[in-house]
Amino acid sequence: MNYLRSCGLGLLWATGSALAFAAVAANAEPAHGTLVVAVNQEPQDLAAQGTYKEINATGLRNVVETLIAVDPVSGEMRGVLATGWERIDGSTLRFTIRQGVKFHDGTELTAEAVAKSINWVWSPEKAFTIQEYAGPGEITATAIDEITVEVVSSQADPLLEFRMTLGGISSAAQLDNSPEEHFDTPVGTGPYVFGEWAKGQYWTATYNPDWWGLGADDAYGTTKPAYSDLKFVFRAEDATRVAMVQSGEAQLGMFPSADECARAANAADYDCVTGPSTTYLYGRLDHSLHAHPVLADPRVREAVFLSVDIAGIADLQGMASVPQGQLGPKGTIGFNDAVQPYTYDPERAMALLAEAKADGVDVDALNIEVVGRDTTPRIKPIVEAIGAMLNISGVETTIKVQTPQEFNPRVRIAGYADEPDRQMMQVHVKGNPSGDYGLLLHSNYACPDINDPKGPSRSSVYCDADFDARLFEALASFGNDRNERMKELVRYVHDRHLIVPLALLDRGYLVKAGTEFTFGTDHRIQAVYLKPAE
Amino acid sequence: MPYLLKRVINSVLLLLITVSFVFFACRMIGDPALNMLGPGANDIALENLRRAAGLNDPLWLQWVRYMGGLLQGDFGVSYRYGFSVIPEADLKDIGVPVVDLVAERLPATFLLAGVAMAIAVPLGLGMGVIAAAYPRHLADRLVTVLSLAGVSIVQFWLGLMLIVLFAVQLGLLPTGGYGEPAHVVLPALTLAARPIGRIAQVVRSAMLDELAKPYVVTARAKGVAEWRVILLHALRNAAIPIITMIGDELSALLTGAILVEKIFAWPGIGLLIIDSLSRSDLPIIQVSIAVVATLVIIVNLLVDFAYRIIDPQIQLGRKA
Repeated sequence: MNYLRSCGLGLLWATGSALAFAAVAANAEPAHGTLVVAVNQEPQDLAAQGTYKEINATGLRNVVETLIAVDPVSGEMRGVLATGWERIDGSTLRFTIRQGVKFHDGTELTAEAVAKSINWVWSPEKAFTIQEYAGPGEITATAIDEITVEVVSSQADPLLEFRMTLGGISSAAQLDNSPEEHFDTPVGTGPYVFGEWAKGQYWTATYNPDWWGLGADDAYGTTKPAYSDLKFVFRAEDATRVAMVQSGEAQLGMFPSADECARAANAADYDCVTGPSTTYLYGRLDHSLHAHPVLADPRVREAVFLSVDIAGIADLQGMASVPQGQLGPKGTIGFNDAVQPYTYDPERAMALLAEAKADGVDVDALNIEVVGRDTTPRIKPIVEAIGAMLNISGVETTIKVQTPQEFNPRVRIAGYADEPDRQMMQVHVKGNPSGDYGLLLHSNYACPDINDPKGPSRSSVYCDADFDARLFEALASFGNDRNERMKELVRYVHDRHLIVPLALLDRGYLVKAGTEFTFGTDHRIQAVYLKPAE
Repeated sequence: MPYLLKRVINSVLLLLITVSFVFFACRMIGDPALNMLGPGANDIALENLRRAAGLNDPLWLQWVRYMGGLLQGDFGVSYRYGFSVIPEADLKDIGVPVVDLVAERLPATFLLAGVAMAIAVPLGLGMGVIAAAYPRHLADRLVTVLSLAGVSIVQFWLGLMLIVLFAVQLGLLPTGGYGEPAHVVLPALTLAARPIGRIAQVVRSAMLDELAKPYVVTARAKGVAEWRVILLHALRNAAIPIITMIGDELSALLTGAILVEKIFAWPGIGLLIIDSLSRSDLPIIQVSIAVVATLVIIVNLLVDFAYRIIDPQIQLGRKA
């Protein structure tokens, strides 16, 4: 009996020791010091809704997590604070909330807290910038029981899962008690706890030993957190971000220029890692709204696009490739393999213009205003090159690079009437991170209403009732039907020569030797995807 | 009216004109709400910002409210920091007071300008004096070349070169940042290059004039030591243009460090202005420029009074 008791106690001791050791090992302070990331801009704020931003709130996802996320490596959707989810109908999703998770302020992650956070982030009255990704209906969330949250869109929304990957879940206690702190002191559930934000300099976060992911089999990331602290340092100048990585002050430098990346190829102590983004440089011609009548002729528009050497523009942009005639990568719902880029053919362009002129189109009035915004990288040589290319085909041009203050009002429906008979070719960048053409087709091609300048298509210049009818049917469709409908619409707008995709932008990072960086199309710099090299 | 009082009144008037000019100029560059929130912003957000910031009111009313606030010490709140659009809350409740943000940045600006001047004044003076003491010698020619280089060198290029040399190649100093003594070295050196050159040129020129005057010849004839002639007699008499130049350069450092602050991520008022310009954060732009204008006015006043200390014969405010 004594023997058995001794054995039992011994077994208990051994088991306890093993569990304690495992717990200590799991929660052990990461062996490596501070991960310093040189980012190109200071966040506007660190509110939970900012987790959807790729650039403006870099690193926020280390502190504030989402319910579900797109895995940056596999591209698959996976649970984060939700362990599972199911679609109840076209407008409803039901999430099972991960249990045992605590916010950094010590409060529990409950279904109530999740619902409160979703309602806060997606509230139309609060009008956070995440609204640019709002769907056809208003999104609301309700706690069904302690671990279940139902998210409902007031209209059928095939992209509701995607939208739930965007907005972060933050402490309900903070939203209740000190909402003003929500904007500069994020309280989330992530592997790092927010530290301080030194305005104009950096923000920091510290390893969270209580992170749920340390004890979960399905935690995201390629590794457990390897760094004890994170520091996101704001360096607006490209050259100083590069210098920080070169000198070893930072392990990661965001978005170096193509030249800097090329130089890194010959450097021993740092490298440039590049990969495709979902952001495109494109040219868009004025069309239906207050545009000069000459642009109504499809031959004229095609001639303009055929005059542009797209490969040359992509080359001039640097760290970019020629897109396949549409503003979405392969794999996007609605991607149409049959659509091809415009082939550079100034002779054909001139022939089309001559044909249009012979038919009475006032081609002599053609004077395209090629306009870019000065915040777009390398925009000046790009618009100059496009202007020169159009000149070769005999098209008169005016070249402009404008500040956001000048440019922004010109690309919204409310500003169009100020410039009748405009012949603008807007050269700009646009991302399509949703994996679906719905948002992009809606914002670029649906007819805007001057009486409703807040509509999602407020920046469109195209009005076509037939297209709009087909678009809204497609937006409400699901599955393969949706894919086929979107493909047809991609072909439809391509054949009308409305937008010329100019370059699919790569994004690059300077990585200090000795740091392993897993690159994905997600550019949110999550530390669990980084670790020191073995 | 005493000279000081007259100068103060003039300065306040100048400041009011400057502040009003900036106020109206900021509103001439387009819709502040749209510029601030960008073309992607929806109309609810735009309207909330306009309402919260009083941008829907007539321009004259906005100006009256702004000036009234200034006179009461209310400088407004930033559109940006800590601000996101919450309709049920008033901007004043959730925005960060601009005066706090500007006050946060002023020490960094003073430190940078102070260290740069601490480098520039002795170096510029020394170089100018040496050049004047040995005209047309090698030292003079060297000073002439170096001062010309200091005046004409592009700060952006110099800053990057210093980073490459001292931070990347030698690893002696950080590439940028703020908080430790090492952080100030490279930006201060970059900023000091121009004042060193200008002060050296002015000192050389003023000293050459003084050293050619009869009292210097007399002093030398009396056997006064050369160092006393140069430093105690000639340099003192050449001080007026030198002080004027130092005042000018200090004003330029306080107002013109924007580029250097950006390169070195130095969180001074220049970086705040450029950052606020890019986001159309009008309250910060207005107050920052008003503060910089005040600093320049104060520096000019101090220079005026320094004349009186250097040369008691100067009667401030009286015609010659």
